[in-house]
Amino acid sequence: MSRLETKKPPLFITEPLTKDGVSQSLSLLSRILKSCYGPAGQLKQLHNGVGGCVCTTSQSSAILSRLPVSHPVLGVLMASVQNHISRFSDCGLFTAILCCSLIENFKSLNVTSCTVIKISKHLLSLCMDYLKSEACGCRVAVDFSSVETLLCLVRSVLRSKPACMLNKTEVDHLTTLILKAFLFTVPCHAESNAVLGKCVIVPVKGRRVVDSTVLPGLLIETPEIQLAKPLTVKRTCSNMIKMALFCVSMSGDSFNPEEGTITVHHRISLEMSELNQLLSVGKQLVNDEVGLVVCQKVIHPSLKRYLKENGVIAVDRAGLSLMEPLSRMTGSKPIASIHLLSPSCYGSLKDLCIESFASKNFVHLIPDDTVVCSFILCNRNETAWDELKRACETAEHVLQLTLKEPLALLGGGCTETHLASYIRHKSCSLSTSTFEDIDCSQTQYQLVADGFCRSLESVARSLNHDDGEILTDMVYGHCWFVPPGFPPVSSWSDLVSKCGCGINGNGENLKWRLLQGQFGSPVIQDCPKEPLVKVADFLTLDCYAAKCSGLQVALETANLILDLLYVIKDQN
Amino acid sequence: LLMAFRDVNARRHIGLQQLSSLALAGRTLLGPVKSCKFIVDESTNQSTLICSAVRLIESLDLTSAAGQLLNETIQAQNKEFKTGMSTLLFLVGAWSNAIVECLQQNVPVSAIVSVMSEGLNSCCERVQCLQISIHDVNKELCSSSVRPNASKSKTCQIGCDSLPNPHLFLYFQKDISVPEVIPINSCSHQDDDCNFNKHLVSPLAGFGSVASIVKPAGDKSTSVISGNGVATSSCNKQKLTHSRYFSTPGKGLFSSQQGNFQGYLLGPSADSCEYCGLGHLAMALSHGNEPSMKLLQSIVAYQQERAEHSGSSQLNVAEIVTCCLLGLPESYSCASPGFVTLLSPEQVTVIKYFEDKLLRILLIDGDLTEQYRHLGFNRPCNVRTIVEHPSLQEGDLWLSSMLDNLINFEVNLVLVKGNVCENLRERCIANSILLVSSVTWNVLCAFGEVTGAQPVTYLTQLNASCVGSGAQVELWKACDGRATDLGELVPVRIKARGIPLLTAVLTTTVASKMQLIEDQFWTSVYRLHHALNDKKVFLGGGAVELLCLSHIQMLVEQPLQLASQNAVKEFHNPWLAASATEYKSVVLQALASGWKQYLLVVMCNSTKASSELEVATSVDHHLRKAADCGSPSAYILKEFGRGDLLRDGADPFADHREGLRVYDNVTAKTEAWRRALDLVLLVLQTDAEIVTGPRKNQLLNSHVSSEFMFL
Repeated sequence: MSRLETKKPPLFITEPLTKDGVSQSLSLLSRILKSCYGPAGQLKQLHNGVGGCVCTTSQSSAILSRLPVSHPVLGVLMASVQNHISRFSDCGLFTAILCCSLIENFKSLNVTSCTVIKISKHLLSLCMDYLKSEACGCRVAVDFSSVETLLCLVRSVLRSKPACMLNKTEVDHLTTLILKAFLFTVPCHAESNAVLGKCVIVPVKGRRVVDSTVLPGLLIETPEIQLAKPLTVKRTCSNMIKMALFCVSMSGDSFNPEEGTITVHHRISLEMSELNQLLSVGKQLVNDEVGLVVCQKVIHPSLKRYLKENGVIAVDRAGLSLMEPLSRMTGSKPIASIHLLSPSCYGSLKDLCIESFASKNFVHLIPDDTVVCSFILCNRNETAWDELKRACETAEHVLQLTLKEPLALLGGGCTETHLASYIRHKSCSLSTSTFEDIDCSQTQYQLVADGFCRSLESVARSLNHDDGEILTDMVYGHCWFVPPGFPPVSSWSDLVSKCGCGINGNGENLKWRLLQGQFGSPVIQDCPKEPLVKVADFLTLDCYAAKCSGLQVALETANLILDLLYVIKDQN
Repeated sequence: LLMAFRDVNARRHIGLQQLSSLALAGRTLLGPVKSCKFIVDESTNQSTLICSAVRLIESLDLTSAAGQLLNETIQAQNKEFKTGMSTLLFLVGAWSNAIVECLQQNVPVSAIVSVMSEGLNSCCERVQCLQISIHDVNKELCSSSVRPNASKSKTCQIGCDSLPNPHLFLYFQKDISVPEVIPINSCSHQDDDCNFNKHLVSPLAGFGSVASIVKPAGDKSTSVISGNGVATSSCNKQKLTHSRYFSTPGKGLFSSQQGNFQGYLLGPSADSCEYCGLGHLAMALSHGNEPSMKLLQSIVAYQQERAEHSGSSQLNVAEIVTCCLLGLPESYSCASPGFVTLLSPEQVTVIKYFEDKLLRILLIDGDLTEQYRHLGFNRPCNVRTIVEHPSLQEGDLWLSSMLDNLINFEVNLVLVKGNVCENLRERCIANSILLVSSVTWNVLCAFGEVTGAQPVTYLTQLNASCVGSGAQVELWKACDGRATDLGELVPVRIKARGIPLLTAVLTTTVASKMQLIEDQFWTSVYRLHHALNDKKVFLGGGAVELLCLSHIQMLVEQPLQLASQNAVKEFHNPWLAASATEYKSVVLQALASGWKQYLLVVMCNSTKASSELEVATSVDHHLRKAADCGSPSAYILKEFGRGDLLRDGADPFADHREGLRVYDNVTAKTEAWRRALDLVLLVLQTDAEIVTGPRKNQLLNSHVSSEFMFL
């Protein structure tokens, strides 16, 4: 008997942001994320509390995906940050911290939210115009004819993930490898619709980081192959290896129907007939002079033996993730049936050999012209390996984005403070017609602009996790860190050596001032200048596309949350 | 789902404290003279003896996040090296303590992280000068073995010293006086304390005899009991120490059986200098673990002899397997060519029939049962079979067809990787076919290589080319030819002409010691293996740690040098670089304290020094002398080259050890350091735990609920 229950009415929550619980949760979330930010960020141990595996991380992608939150306001925030991460990989923490700061700062203003939103949209457009202009003082052009800037970009990504547990040598080694892997994926003969290749990460856990390496082509793990024996492969007349790629299971169980029942006489063995079918496929493969058979799933041992006896190398359990790059690299079309075998599906390989890393044996498929490579990634333990893998993927994505838009932003907090000084300067020199257009007073505009700048600066401030001071200079608007334990003095130049991104030294008098916290008085200043020299080794650089998107996402999400009037909860 | 969030750093760093308390339990596992521990399962009253950090960690309650990471780290080291885990565990504890002290002095976390990891790097580079190439080691060891006073007469450097030692005596007195009694078994032997003590300090007391108890994970109140025998019972102790099997045979006992032992193998081949070098190298790396070392030496000799024909000179680990025989005295351990395994008495009847015959052999790399299908085969769930003659038994059909297959191809012996259907095994015995189950892949390959057999998955796949020939089976005989009746199972040796495979037969009469013996054997094997792979070894006996201490002393005194060296092309990191210089000396001292503690504990465990104070004085003395002489590495090379440095003068027996060398693995050691530091720094940089999962109420009601915040 079914039981009927009356529907509960939905729950209305008005002005959710004014509620205590929400602002507490929001500030807690903001605290967690701020404490993770940057190379000196604090790590979080994510685990289920009952002995499950522990993930030690400071990356937004790992934390946000595993943080279940109860309140819809936090849900909106996290969803938009995660969406940003899925598109750009980088600058997730920047986006989330900026968004929390903006909400906090704007909420405390005595200005109606619709005015705040209008003004902040205008501020955003000022920022974006500036970042896109040639005159922008916080961006550098990426020159693909030299590797220096690219190395800086990759190194900045790796250095900002302390849970990877890398020392200097290891960072340098991996930086080179990531760049090498990326360059492998760029096609040599670029046409108008060139597509980047793929870098497949091969996990080797428990090894030293410096044992990592990059190889052109693909590696498939083959536990049963013995290293000692030399590999002899059948070749076609053009000295290539013909290859067949199966994406269907060849384990001999495909008679197993999805639904319905098969009734058979007990003398008929479906397994045998299936095996015979497999063997006839094998015979055709042998006749077609195929030298290598790769199957995504399992190959029946009898078929494997048959192929081996006939000089065909059979590799099974390649896995789904390898299928696309395998097909792309060899030109073979994945065969989805063991009943139809068209010779047009075959691909070709230049060479085949056996490699061994950390007691694992691999078959190494070497193509003629490679856009696919394998990145054998090692790290000493599981949790550090997982973190390193995420970092490497991010770095590769950053390089791809930079290839599309060859620009980079200064890192180490400098872009944030520079933008803030620019907006402070710009907002004082706006014409009255602008305020009329936005329908606000100049005071209101100043208030919102100040809140916006303080939010940007608070992101830069979260890079510091000790209680040292943070300065900005009045000339370039960059960010400077003073080590903890020094009293505030007039001559900051004795205490600081380089700005956050590393482009400016303390040579000239840059008129430093403390980067104020929540309640500092707004500072009127000149438009920040562009650094004189823009090429230097060992700069901290951020991905241009990711940071621009982060800025937009943060502001738009903050506006959306500020604009929330009701939350309607279905209680059924 | 909910998320709970806990501030780890609230007062003092919880994670570091957890690490240090877990590591404390492993203090006695360090050095050549280890004190074993009992793991007592209170639910079943069963106990095992453990002597390695891996087994200790396996038995501890590790539900905390830091504990999980520690376990992961130790397992990773074990998987990669099979040695260095105790060092790793110890340094984790020592460095955790040192860092907690730094935190209390308000040293910023970032400064600790950067100075410590740079300091370790610098030390690892510095100690490279203590590496000795295997080639030089062989030359050295061979020339030294000619001297009458050298290793042959004195087989074990520190562990099996026969002279009574006042410290050892005191140590036991302390243990016995603990009043708490938790008996494991009823005591069958009763003896007075006096006798007990006398026994312990007798030459027969090997390193295995010092036991202390660790409570198992099941104990809720305290997961770790550190130190020596908080829960030890004197009664329990007496019984165990009185068992003659419980102590590893000392020098006297062993040497009397040495002749047998080597004679059983392939005759003396010690003339070859290369072997003699590897054998001595194995000894220098064994750190006093004599029985395993002897076994390894005979394996090396065998492989070396084979290598003269084939040309390879490395130790081949894949060609070594172990077979554990419970019920024979430990002195019966030996290495046998071929594959030794345990079979049931019924199967043994077939063997008598096989004697002196060359057998046809088949290798199966799956199970030999009707239901078995290869991995990746999904069983059909909706296929219905119509049977016309219900009387016909399907199982019988399969059995007889399999048997027919075997008989048709005249197979005598089948080695199966997985399980074997019991009915088929019986039918085969009746037809004089021997089925051996649970054979590892390595063994299958070895037999495949020499007999020409090719592994198949199903018997239906069988054809003539799969079957190999030339295998032989015989009863395994102990070194004195004594019949080995172990009750239920009989050891059998399967071999083939020219097979490279060797079985290390490990024997003991004490069940709880079996695992320990096997672990120790593999540790010895892998130490030699890694030494040959590295192609170099470290000067052992504390030389490396001492040089690290001296190097750090130098870094502390010239703090600017390290910074300026690297500043030239350094990636800019403003707040790290600046704060690091200020706290450099404090943090470097913390790093040094790890190695210093290590040296103290190793020396004290080795029962040579009467107190930690004495060792500390000796270490300081040598550090000063090393610094004074200008080149610490030269000083250490010179002093350690003469023998064990850290106990000269004070030690009346110094001359006994003249010419005895101790070496350590290079990569295993530095990797253990690095892994230990990585773990501690990882935990140090963690400021919060995020607990995910549906246990909100449980967390709210627990006593730590106030520490959590909910999102």
